[in-house]
Amino acid sequence: MRSDVIVTQNLSKTYGSPPLQVFALRKTDLQIKKGDYIAIIGPSGSGKSTLMNLLGCLDKPTSGKIFIEGNDVSMINDNELARIRREKIGFIFQKYNLIPTLNALENVELSMGFAGVDTQQRTAKAKKLLEMVDLSKRLHHKPSEMSGGEQQRVAIARALANNPSIILADEPTGNVDTKSGENIMGILEEVNQDGETVIVVTHNMAIAQRAKRVLRIQDGVVTEEYV
Amino acid sequence: MFKDHVKLAVKNLQHRMSRSLLTLLGIAIGIMAIISLMALGEGMQQAVTGELSSLSDVIIVTTGGGFFSSFGAGESSGEYFTDRDIATVERTQGVRDVSAQLSANAYAEYNGKKTIVSLTGMDVIVMRLQYESQRLDSGDFLSENDQNNIMIGSGIAYDTFEADVAVGNRITINGKKFFVRGIFAKQGFGGFSSDSLILLNSRDFKKLTGQSNISMIYLRVNNVNDVESIAANIQDAINQNHGRKTFARATTMTSILETVQSIIGILQLVLVAIASIALVVASIGIMNTMLTSVMERTREIGIMKAIGATNQDIMSIFIIEGVLVSSIGGILGIVLGVFGSQGLTMILNNFMMMGGSSNLTPVITVISVLLAVSVSLFVGVLSSLYPAWKAARMSPIEAVRYE
Repeated sequence: MRSDVIVTQNLSKTYGSPPLQVFALRKTDLQIKKGDYIAIIGPSGSGKSTLMNLLGCLDKPTSGKIFIEGNDVSMINDNELARIRREKIGFIFQKYNLIPTLNALENVELSMGFAGVDTQQRTAKAKKLLEMVDLSKRLHHKPSEMSGGEQQRVAIARALANNPSIILADEPTGNVDTKSGENIMGILEEVNQDGETVIVVTHNMAIAQRAKRVLRIQDGVVTEEYV
Repeated sequence: MFKDHVKLAVKNLQHRMSRSLLTLLGIAIGIMAIISLMALGEGMQQAVTGELSSLSDVIIVTTGGGFFSSFGAGESSGEYFTDRDIATVERTQGVRDVSAQLSANAYAEYNGKKTIVSLTGMDVIVMRLQYESQRLDSGDFLSENDQNNIMIGSGIAYDTFEADVAVGNRITINGKKFFVRGIFAKQGFGGFSSDSLILLNSRDFKKLTGQSNISMIYLRVNNVNDVESIAANIQDAINQNHGRKTFARATTMTSILETVQSIIGILQLVLVAIASIALVVASIGIMNTMLTSVMERTREIGIMKAIGATNQDIMSIFIIEGVLVSSIGGILGIVLGVFGSQGLTMILNNFMMMGGSSNLTPVITVISVLLAVSVSLFVGVLSSLYPAWKAARMSPIEAVRYE
């Protein structure tokens, strides 16, 4: 029996107030288990980003609850949310979102820095992760000196730095060429095979069909698709 | 953790090098202004204090309005002390070295031109005490045994007669020839002007004029602590001699010193206040730069928050950035201030011709340096507080979504 990593109960997010209230997410119950490989699909404006922001603890729900590894995080304060993001969640964004002033190694070290890991351990870990994504020769390159695929691989290394329970990837292949995209998905799947929970948000069906579970979201309502 | 914040702040500053340097320069100029003006004020204080405190046992008794209205100005109130006054002063307990300064008008003639001048006569020893701090253009002070020798101010030497007077020349005063022994350097404003002075010893003065118009009595006390009470006693006694309450005024160097110091103190305060305006402008500059930086880095802030930075982390990074700019600017400002104060005093010395050994030297005190450092730190924190707070309360989603 695998343990639950994320559980949501009646999770809702609305913007604005009545009568102009917009439901971005309606009463969603989800159960995501450790080691799951999930794709969340849906057209733009469907509530994909809202769901991703809530699961990633970037945003707070309007109502309902969200549990990360059994802890209710729907009502906690900003600093606790920051701690959850730091320790439990690794983000991968469509536009890589590396810090432009820092090189690859420093970018990977950064989140460990916020977590208070000491310098030597940090560097060793960052080097190991960058080696894993095949970037040992790019340690001291700034984002502007790397290709899109390379930047995304640095982002994956950064996402894994604090040993999170969940990897949240938002259109990870959206900005790279097919070959690099394949490479990136390969790495994510490897990570999943090592027992990591991976959630990919995408509107690319080819990417979605590689996942073990597919969640479709439309007008704020989530339905499970069986593949 | 703190080290990481510093590293991030440094990277950001390096990334925007020219902007950081310009902001830093603003602070440097503000601090420079404060340091150099404080050094100037302190230099003035010390110059005046040094000069006057060596004369702390001196009392000067004048007629009329007091020390400032008659001393050295070459004018007299038209009233004079009598020999009885001198005797009164000499009888006063704890007094030594009583001497009188005599003044009278006379005709002086040089190179065919005749004009009215005012003569000042005093004992040679008093002359030395009173004028020892003044530079001589040429020649020497009078000595005890000189006869028919005079010292003159630069105004008499160069501006009174048609031809310049030099040391060794003779000036005819009331028909009698006097040998010019020394010429004082030009004083201009400030200091105790000697420009229109014709100085001779009391013996020659009495012989020449047949008068003993005592315009000033100069004396010292045995015990510096008694100087104020003795001054009061003398003033009362002389006033009693003349039956008027305001005939004489006894002034001590201590009271002059206090007056001058408080004037310089106010001056110093005003100078620093003006310099502070530069600093206020500079701190607005920091705030402006930081706010721009926060706007530009919205995305970066969002990313840092998404990967686990707390609000405090973000705040600390931005405050460190502001403090780095202002403290480096402050240090640069102190260095510039050291040179700036030298330059400023050089200009002032040239303009004002402070003259004599009272030449102004800037004094940079530990206090002014500490003040500059703490002010720049304070400015750094204060002006980055608002931008940092703005950065810290950004929502990570808004920030990440920012294109």
